[in-house]
Amino acid sequence: MVLKIFFPQCCNRAESGLLVGRWISGHDSAVVLAVIHYPFIPGQVKQYIQQMQAQSGVELTVLGSWSLPKEGQESMESFLRDLSTIFPQQRWLQVSRQMGKMGFICEVVNRNQNGQETQQEAKKQNEEEEEKVIFVHYEQRKVMLSQLHPTESGDPDPNTEPSSELKQVFQTVARSQPLFFLDRYDDGPLKSTHWQSEGREASIIVELLKQASVPLCMLISWLLALWTWICNIRIFSLYPLRFLSSKLSTCVQISYRTEHMRTLSSPKPAAGHKQFMRKGNILVSFLVDVGLGILLMSWLYRDDHIATLANMLMPAADHVAKELEELLQWLMGAPAGLKMNRALDQVLGRFFLYHIHLWISYIHLMSPFIEGILWYGGLSVCLGLTFALSLLSDMVALLTFHIYCFYVYGARLYCLKIYGLSSLWRLFRGKKWNVLRQRVDSCSYDVDQLFIGTLLFTILLFLLPTTALYYLVFTLLRLVVVLFQGILHLSVDFINSFPLFAMGLRIFRPYRLAEGVKFQVLCDEPGTALHLLMEINPLKCSTVVQTYRTPTYSCYPRDSWAALVKKLFVGELIYPWRHKSTKAD
Amino acid sequence: MGPDGAPGPAVPWRKVLWERQPFPDNYVDQRFLEELRRNEGIRQYRYWAVVKEAGFVGQQLSCVAIFITLWLYMEQSLLPPETLLWSSLICALLGYGLHQALTSRVESCGEPRTHLADLQSAAIFLSFTFGFSPVLKTLTESVSTDTVYAMSALMLLAHLVSFPYAQPSPPGSLSLNAALFASVCLASRLPGALHTFAMLSCALLVFALWPCLLQTLRENAPVHFTGVCMGVCIGGIVGLGSQTLGGAVLLTLALASVTLLCPFLLVRLQRHKDNIHGPWDEAEIREDLSRFLH
Repeated sequence: MVLKIFFPQCCNRAESGLLVGRWISGHDSAVVLAVIHYPFIPGQVKQYIQQMQAQSGVELTVLGSWSLPKEGQESMESFLRDLSTIFPQQRWLQVSRQMGKMGFICEVVNRNQNGQETQQEAKKQNEEEEEKVIFVHYEQRKVMLSQLHPTESGDPDPNTEPSSELKQVFQTVARSQPLFFLDRYDDGPLKSTHWQSEGREASIIVELLKQASVPLCMLISWLLALWTWICNIRIFSLYPLRFLSSKLSTCVQISYRTEHMRTLSSPKPAAGHKQFMRKGNILVSFLVDVGLGILLMSWLYRDDHIATLANMLMPAADHVAKELEELLQWLMGAPAGLKMNRALDQVLGRFFLYHIHLWISYIHLMSPFIEGILWYGGLSVCLGLTFALSLLSDMVALLTFHIYCFYVYGARLYCLKIYGLSSLWRLFRGKKWNVLRQRVDSCSYDVDQLFIGTLLFTILLFLLPTTALYYLVFTLLRLVVVLFQGILHLSVDFINSFPLFAMGLRIFRPYRLAEGVKFQVLCDEPGTALHLLMEINPLKCSTVVQTYRTPTYSCYPRDSWAALVKKLFVGELIYPWRHKSTKAD
Repeated sequence: MGPDGAPGPAVPWRKVLWERQPFPDNYVDQRFLEELRRNEGIRQYRYWAVVKEAGFVGQQLSCVAIFITLWLYMEQSLLPPETLLWSSLICALLGYGLHQALTSRVESCGEPRTHLADLQSAAIFLSFTFGFSPVLKTLTESVSTDTVYAMSALMLLAHLVSFPYAQPSPPGSLSLNAALFASVCLASRLPGALHTFAMLSCALLVFALWPCLLQTLRENAPVHFTGVCMGVCIGGIVGLGSQTLGGAVLLTLALASVTLLCPFLLVRLQRHKDNIHGPWDEAEIREDLSRFLH
């Protein structure tokens, strides 16, 4: 039977008095929160404790007595023992310390049902029937501010007790904040020793910010309401616009940021640790994003960079078109010595060349407006670096739209051919696909069917290399574009979801996010109890990132490699990146 | 204990296992293997009958040889495509008339094909072939000649192997398709689109329509059937011989071995046949169960 007493470090040198704290139910331990000094009136102490219990919701009791006699003071042993009759308890702790010695001596007085006292002393550790006492010293401020992980998900009922002892200790100290507001310089009926804050005067900036945040939140929520009303106007819910806005990543990013702002601007303070961290992360990442965006903007608008970019864009588009034309000419010849069917080759090549010609005319039509568009578009970069990246991704998608079209044509043609070939191959062998049974069955065909089937099979088979080559080339081009867009989206995602606030907290105040505790032996003298120092183990950085990641429309590959290769082989259209829609939290 | 062992006890042994007998379970008496029968239901082949049947196989081989001959003539531009087209048309009409004449004698049960349906089929064939022949002509342009010859040879071999010799009238899918594939490969090597069209029509005639006629001949005029087979064989040898003498010799050897040597071997080896039957065979239902259907 080991009794653990959690003792605050600030009370190590306190003057004699009463120990106030809480017994941990279910475990043999007690948490000492404060020491109330002499002289005191017991009635006032009881009143104070009840008041504190109502305010904080923690079951505070008087645990026992503490005596640290100064020079010249007699020991007050008998007086302290008599106190136990004033504050009736199941167990009464009498802790005493000598000046100059490190260890404490603790006597536990148990009161059984009949009211008789039995007394046991803690002596040496190898006597087994007697109760041993361990003093665990903790730093009150750190434990008060710390949050033990893994936290429960959702809002736990504040009345249910967590089962782990450590969690109860942390929770007790954290919730006893009203107890710690009693200042030692106050002129009140009670004097106590516990952790003291430095005073409200030192954190005046924080107080000012807190006061200013309320009207700011109201302003932001009003702006958001206006913006949402604009977005919900009927004209914007027409099908083409809605489809377009779901595909453009800029619109997605805007809606995402609106969601964030809505979380931030709610006037209620954060309920629970997770909400608080979420708000902190959102705020910090938003500020960093905007900061980077403003940096980028200042670079763009300086030295006429926008005009340079606009002037570079037209030749770049022309260059891409010319490269594509050369590629098609090469395909129309005899590429890599492959056996292409000349007629089909010419047809396909001319078809695609005509498309490129159309595209280039369109771009040339738009060229006078490019600089204006870039200039105004650059203004929106001040909303954040993520916007700049989304805009870039959208512009790349628009500029390479013709590659996407070619890819779709090539893929559809190839898919049709593969499908026809597989069906006609079954006809060649005299078999047929049974749709009902989902298997291949034999079938007796007519002469006409056989004849036409064989002709078509031969034609499709010999035209396969040509189509396959065009498909391959355009698929590769499309994959390059998709890869580039994917990188942009991944970086946007990273900026959105990385928990900067939590990482900052972990680096600068590691005790705030605790994974567990570690104990260090302070004093192990015979004749006194064992003294341990409890230090907080901070959470690992990887766990921080994993726990506090903001859920985003995370962008990850939809198919495994095997499924992707199979889709490419059959000719199905591939959209490799899947966007998870934002889940309501 | 076996059949030659010492005489057993007075109780005779019965071939049952549900009764306790004083014999061990694996005891057999001298009636062992009494019910063994050898070579039951074996057919005795007669040489000339088998030769007559094997003639059909030789006939098909010669058909293929004739087709190749025609192709060789067309490739060397010795045979103009119009001639081939007209002669194919005339042969087709003659064959159709013969077919109708032979089948009208026999009252066939089931729905006969009307003339309109036949005309429709013919129209589909011709239009498709004519429409696709420019495309078909360019199919093997970039493929090397050796590959084309190898593919065609393989496909014609597959055609010969999978041909339904027992019942050629509904044509087997694989054999017909293989023959058509080979003919498309060969036809695409010819100099013009009309050549391709002519070749394909000829292929259709030889591989798809000729076996139907043969089937009706076999059913209705078996005497003439043998004569026709022999005629085709001789025609094949002569045709091939006019182009390559070596080919003709090869064809003669092949025909001789298929029609004369193989039946001889079959009859000779028949006497070495040794099948055993007995009550341990799988049961075969010999009864006609169709009376349960009504």
